[in-house]
Amino acid sequence: MMQRKLKVAALLAVILSASSAYAVAEDGFWLWLVKFNRQKGVRPVTDKQYLEECEGCHFAYQPGLLPAKSWEALLNADALRKHFGVDAELDNDTLKAIHDYAVDNAADKSWYKRSRKIAVAVATTEGPVPLRITELRYISRKHRNIPEKMIKGNKGVKSLSFCDKCHTQAADGVYDVDTVSIPNYPDWKE
Amino acid sequence: MGETKINLRNIVVGICLAILSGMVYAADTGMNLELPTASSFYTRNYQSLNSRSFDSQSFYSTAYLLAANEGDVVRELSVVTPVVPESEFKPPLISGRKVHQYLGLGTVMMAGLTMLAAPESCERNCPPPSQQPRQTSGTTHTRLARATAAMAAATVLSGLVFHWSDIHWEDPFTDPDKLHARLGAAGALLMIYAVNKSAHSTEPTSHAPIAELGVVTMLVAIKLTW
Repeated sequence: MMQRKLKVAALLAVILSASSAYAVAEDGFWLWLVKFNRQKGVRPVTDKQYLEECEGCHFAYQPGLLPAKSWEALLNADALRKHFGVDAELDNDTLKAIHDYAVDNAADKSWYKRSRKIAVAVATTEGPVPLRITELRYISRKHRNIPEKMIKGNKGVKSLSFCDKCHTQAADGVYDVDTVSIPNYPDWKE
Repeated sequence: MGETKINLRNIVVGICLAILSGMVYAADTGMNLELPTASSFYTRNYQSLNSRSFDSQSFYSTAYLLAANEGDVVRELSVVTPVVPESEFKPPLISGRKVHQYLGLGTVMMAGLTMLAAPESCERNCPPPSQQPRQTSGTTHTRLARATAAMAAATVLSGLVFHWSDIHWEDPFTDPDKLHARLGAAGALLMIYAVNKSAHSTEPTSHAPIAELGVVTMLVAIKLTW
């Protein structure tokens, strides 16, 4: 009986210390370990400037969708002048703020599950630094069974780049298959 | 005269009923939100003709035939996809993946209850194990332990079925889904082994540490993909 009480007490102590650590810890392994909220997707964008600047033209992709080296290659003055065929130049202060936010929250620095999967897959793939999220092995593999007619041939989607067209909770960093609704194909199931 | 009065009353009642039913029908029609109200719908929805899975909406297709008969519109029919009226998407309450999730969490909770329902062990002046009474057959602890083991097995099985596409041979050892699968299966096996060990012994035998290790292993597995 005594032994069981000790076990329950130890369990409670762990939960309490974990909860208190949650309140004070910086983001990192320990915070991830003690967090009870779901971290299955990627970390949602919390930086207002990043959100506003990116969303001006396209869906604000979470930094956790690419590793830091990719953001380094994408978010510099030269690269932004020809950002996937478009001049997306930013002033120096804005560029620095966005660059730093993206690099600090990149896939290889995040404890969110999908970010970890992306980081692990990129780390073990040979070749140049990936610049497109859709070309990542993890992302392309996840979408390979979806017919072309549902993406490129679908007026409601057009391209795999428009994550939020099908992933109804993409803005929250949730990319679960249960939250997918392909426009014009409401009955689609994986 | 009396007959006439009755007939008149019947006629009046009949007319009232007819009017009422007509009003109900009119009200229903007015509130039927599925009917498009803008004329532009009929001309813009010409893509629906190209859809094979759009049979239930054939009304709209017919409407298009009446409304959009321009040559360039007709030529576009072979290249565009259907446009289905959008409705607010609600994730399913239950799915294969969610069943797996609930089973995993249920296993851990059941394991906790099993631990709390464990019979008291002898602490002082204890007789040798062979002479101690067998307390585990038919007790709450036994039933809970068996249910936990069954749930653990069901969790692993549902994971294999519903998450098979998440596991790839080319992914490294550290892939979160691979770690989750390995640790989850190991945890379930440890729990099943602990139950089996106790069930097949003729005297009280220490199996709690194995079961507890199994629970901790499964908890780590859950956390890795939570």
